[in-house]
Amino acid sequence: MATEQAAEERDADSLNTDTELLEVRNLDAGYGDLQILTAVDLDVTAGEYVTIVGPNGAGKSTVMKSVFGLTTYMGGSVVFNDEKIHGFKPDEIIHKGIGYVPQNDNVFGTLTVRENLEMGAYILDEVPEDRIELQFDRFPVLRERQNQKAGTMSGGQRQMVAMARALMLDPDLLLLDEPSAGLAPDLVQEMFDRIDRINNDGTAILMVEQNAKEALRRCDRGYVLAQGENRYMDTGRALLDNEDVRQQFLGG
Amino acid sequence: MGVTESRRLDRHTIREQAPLILVGVFGALLLVDLLFRLAGVEIALTANRSFGGSLSAQRFGGMLWNGIVIGLIIGLAGIGLSMTYSILSFANFSHGDLLTSGAFAGWAASYVVAGFGVVSVGELLFVRAGGGAPFADEIGASIVQAPLSILVGMVVAAGVTILLALAIDRIVYKPMRGRGGISLLIASIGVALALRYIIQFMFGASNRGVVDTTDVRVDIAGLSVNLHEVTLVVAAVALMLGMHFMLQRTKLGKAMRAMADNQDLALVTGIPTERIVQATWVIGGGLAGVAGYLVVLDRGTIGFNLGWFLLLLIFAAVILGGIGSIYGAIAGGLLIGITYSVSLVWIPSDFNEAAAFALMILVLLLRPEGIFSGVSTA
Repeated sequence: MATEQAAEERDADSLNTDTELLEVRNLDAGYGDLQILTAVDLDVTAGEYVTIVGPNGAGKSTVMKSVFGLTTYMGGSVVFNDEKIHGFKPDEIIHKGIGYVPQNDNVFGTLTVRENLEMGAYILDEVPEDRIELQFDRFPVLRERQNQKAGTMSGGQRQMVAMARALMLDPDLLLLDEPSAGLAPDLVQEMFDRIDRINNDGTAILMVEQNAKEALRRCDRGYVLAQGENRYMDTGRALLDNEDVRQQFLGG
Repeated sequence: MGVTESRRLDRHTIREQAPLILVGVFGALLLVDLLFRLAGVEIALTANRSFGGSLSAQRFGGMLWNGIVIGLIIGLAGIGLSMTYSILSFANFSHGDLLTSGAFAGWAASYVVAGFGVVSVGELLFVRAGGGAPFADEIGASIVQAPLSILVGMVVAAGVTILLALAIDRIVYKPMRGRGGISLLIASIGVALALRYIIQFMFGASNRGVVDTTDVRVDIAGLSVNLHEVTLVVAAVALMLGMHFMLQRTKLGKAMRAMADNQDLALVTGIPTERIVQATWVIGGGLAGVAGYLVVLDRGTIGFNLGWFLLLLIFAAVILGGIGSIYGAIAGGLLIGITYSVSLVWIPSDFNEAAAFALMILVLLLRPEGIFSGVSTA
């Protein structure tokens, strides 16, 4: 009942693309005493596809982890669906409708594919068979291999398991940390195609990606981050055309 | 160049295989010797050394059975140790004293149920602390005389140990969560000492008989079986099967395996990690308590350091089986138990514990990660 309602609301949201979903303002965050981010601003509207690019150590992943409550909050605000979520713990943030796919070790290797998906819906009382079926429709290879241990699968398939698990609760926003890392070049395009499809189904995407050119080509909007601060923000296409961005951050 | 390289490789593999071959030869010799003994064949080697000998099949069967009984206890206790290791990431040295706590709590309950009205409750509660009355056969503390008391004892052993484990976690381990395995390990040694001497203070230092063994041996199909051992085997196997079902089929069990697999991921997946930790203590503590109770049922005696002495064997079983795997703990327990018991064919009983540890070292030399490691966690 509640989920249907959420789905309806999301559908309504996706019609109006200007509906603010995530609003990060002046965010300072880091790990322990070490501050990484300084006054970072970032927005994602409902159904939008946003990419963060920048050099190594720019704090791209830290932005994402901060949204998900995995860093030390030091100031500013993170608002999701008109609710302050900074200082919340990850399991509370999942309840609000954000899913997160970490970069490494993102599947439970000793659990089967199906069990991995079940864990994605742990906070629900019942195992939602229809949601599992939905993920199997999205990633058919997972249906074939549902009883295989996730640890025995290839990198690309593991990435699918990780995404499917994060999508089990039908989040409004999916955080993807370097989804193409470690994938063979031909699989990278498939991975980006899959992300496009997830986005087309109405889920907003916030993605950190090393493969910056491809990511900017695919996304609606991009942020360039350096040394923990905002540098540029524009549509993906505009950032690709921006001479300064190309010179400094995209290797010419 | 290619030739020398491949030859070096050959020599290298031979050197790697040498220990395995040696172990194989030694094991084969033992097996042949055992078969000779069972067949009653003896080949004199020197004046007082011989190969083979005589060993009745019945005596050997008894040893094997005894080994399985000990092995199941060690395995049952090992499950909890292995789970706390994989989910809380530290080696819990107070696990043995949780066994002792369960043993005393359980037997106090058994005594109260069996001896109610015969002796005053105060005396019953301290399980013959003075070493005097009430004697076990006076109140009939056995599965034959008072089966209900044994059942109640097992339940109370589990319940009290669970509460104790949760309380210790709340007071000692929870504030230290995330401090790393070594700090927690050292804290657990402190907890072990505290528990042991609180138990000694309450229940006394004497090692005393508490189990009535009158009529517990019965003949079933021509075999003399000890009903207490049967009780132990049934209880242990049932609990192990229950554990297997819980871990493979229930949501909680799957979450425990997920958490043992990858704690950081469990956290970002939305698994309530703190609740899983508590469930781990409930299950690990409960099994330890029952194991402690059953050890006493098997041996007939209780003492404040019974768990501490068992702890080394439990660790050996868990490490041998592959630390972190409950199936490894069960398999390791059985291997250690059977070695402990069957090694008596060749060596005097003062050394059979050494045989169990020798087996552990041997297995670890050949397979450092243990038998089951990486196959199935939690």
